[in-house]
Amino acid sequence: MSSVLLLNLAWQISTLALVALGLAIVFGKLRIMNMAHGEFVMIGAYAPVITSMLSMPGWLQLPVCLVTVGLVAFVLERTIIRHLYGRMFDSLLATWGIAILLREIVELIFGRGYQSVSPPLTGTIRVLGADYPAYRIAVIIGIILGFIGLYWWNTRSKVATRIKAMVGNPELAEAIGIDTARLSAGAFVFGCCTAGLAGLILAPTVRIEPMMGLDYLIRSFFALVVGGLGSLEGLGIGAGIIAGTQTFLGAVASQTYGYLAVLTLSILFLWLKPNGIRSSSR
Amino acid sequence: MMKKTATLLSSVALAMALGTMSASADTKIGVLVPDSGPAGLFGPSTRNSAVLAAKEINANGGINGEQIELVFADVGVPPAEAAQAALRLWKGQGAEAFVGMHDSAVREALIGRFNGQVPYVYTPVYEGNSCADGLYITGETPSQQLEPVIPFLAEKEGVSKWYLIGHDYNWPRDTNALAKGFIADAGGEVVGEEYVPFTVGEFDSSLQRIKESGADAVLVTLVGGGSVGFNVSFAGFGLDDQAIRLGTLIEENTLAGIGADNANRLYSSSGYFSSIETDAAASFAEDYLAVFGSDAPALNGLGQSAYEGLMLLAALANKAGSLDVAAMDAAAEGTTWSTPRGDNTMMGRHMAQTIYLADGSGGAFNVVASFDNVASSEACSN
Repeated sequence: MSSVLLLNLAWQISTLALVALGLAIVFGKLRIMNMAHGEFVMIGAYAPVITSMLSMPGWLQLPVCLVTVGLVAFVLERTIIRHLYGRMFDSLLATWGIAILLREIVELIFGRGYQSVSPPLTGTIRVLGADYPAYRIAVIIGIILGFIGLYWWNTRSKVATRIKAMVGNPELAEAIGIDTARLSAGAFVFGCCTAGLAGLILAPTVRIEPMMGLDYLIRSFFALVVGGLGSLEGLGIGAGIIAGTQTFLGAVASQTYGYLAVLTLSILFLWLKPNGIRSSSR
Repeated sequence: MMKKTATLLSSVALAMALGTMSASADTKIGVLVPDSGPAGLFGPSTRNSAVLAAKEINANGGINGEQIELVFADVGVPPAEAAQAALRLWKGQGAEAFVGMHDSAVREALIGRFNGQVPYVYTPVYEGNSCADGLYITGETPSQQLEPVIPFLAEKEGVSKWYLIGHDYNWPRDTNALAKGFIADAGGEVVGEEYVPFTVGEFDSSLQRIKESGADAVLVTLVGGGSVGFNVSFAGFGLDDQAIRLGTLIEENTLAGIGADNANRLYSSSGYFSSIETDAAASFAEDYLAVFGSDAPALNGLGQSAYEGLMLLAALANKAGSLDVAAMDAAAEGTTWSTPRGDNTMMGRHMAQTIYLADGSGGAFNVVASFDNVASSEACSN
């Protein structure tokens, strides 16, 4: 296996894990099938477009991204999503509508055309004997560190347990002193912000246009189907299998076979192992 | 009761007479544009270009002495629906001719529906090999975009090892089939050929294959978002130092998505760029700016093609003396007319036209060569 293939695998798996993280939180913890997940990735990718339109310095891209995505997510959670906890099918329809709305709003502001974003790091560096884009290397390292941090926090924090209590029995959770409104809004906004962050990070490497979100939703969904809901390990396994299969078969055979294999895997998992490889205790 | 019926009938007759009168005041031309769907990005610039053409035609006395009026329909929908929309313009609103900027599947559906009974000009870049009564084509075909350009680039850039990559459908495959001949004639060789499905958004493995193939030129027939994604990653991997890129559908919007950082040595071959520096093209761009303002959608080869289509329709109909298909078919061969693209001639129902080669380095197209009167190899018999 060539070192470029290894690096490509690392890039595809780590970025897919980051993109799918938000969906895993919102779907896995809050039981909201967020069809607008890709649109939060899209809004995040537009953050550098906003800063360059307003001629703001580059370091403001991250705050602009988090504030924009966070605000949109917060408003949607308080007005629409909070009525849908425990109603998974309704949440699917409502968030699909939200996805269309968000696409149209972005199109209204920025137009239908493609945007482009310059990477903060340009050029290639030599890694494992191969020339690889410096920006991608930095992103891979950043995502790995981020997930280690998240894993560490997750094992110590009681937030996940509280969310589980809240979703399982909201009245009882409130009775024992859990502020469910704050907790659910916080979890939803956090999930959407990770999607926005993924969009910001991917922006210099992909096409940017109002319809871009759909690809990310589908791939994230596949990763969750295979990996299973409710755990970071499941997310990692799912992202590894989906992105790994596509990248590996794309390299040794062709992209068509890679995509075919991903679809086949997803269907087989939905059919034979609907809870994925690592499902949560629920 | 009888009287009432008679009054009703006479008022219907009167309304119908008035209806025909108002319809005969102007010649209605159906313009088929993609307002929705994957090509929806090109809807606004296509409409605007058509509107400019109608102004121009009317200022010059219309078609056979009658002013024209445009009626629009959205054809960014599945072929059967698009054919229905065209039928409504034709039978419902009385359109007497059509100009269409849409994909090939819609074109084939329209050819079936029109059945040679109404003139129809097809305007975008396309794969070639479409002939029918009453069908006239202004769009560039692969032979026009490649035959003069490949030897020129081989000479200018000293490239000989070509890698062909496109989306998996007939336009890229037909383009590459022709390209292989032109590459061989220019003394080059094809070192790789690859087709990717539309659903694939990342090109890492393709880029690795291009790198390993040692290609010094890449012919890109990916379209839209795929082309943007490919070209962004291509430059990200530093492949722009290894190979030039030539695209036959990289227009202004696609280049904007690719971005200035990623467009080093990216060439595009087309019959139109908004930066063509001829008087005709410059005055067209000025008119566009004056009518639609600086916020209007950017001019590009696909949108502008609607202008070409209407101008061809006017030239043909004026030469034939009517919008009758048989008369226009008989008059078509050898019709000449001038547009922002340059001087054009109708040959085998296709438009022999000037082909421009532009360099996108720096994020804006800079025309580096033009080839006059390039005929298509896709001639239809008349």
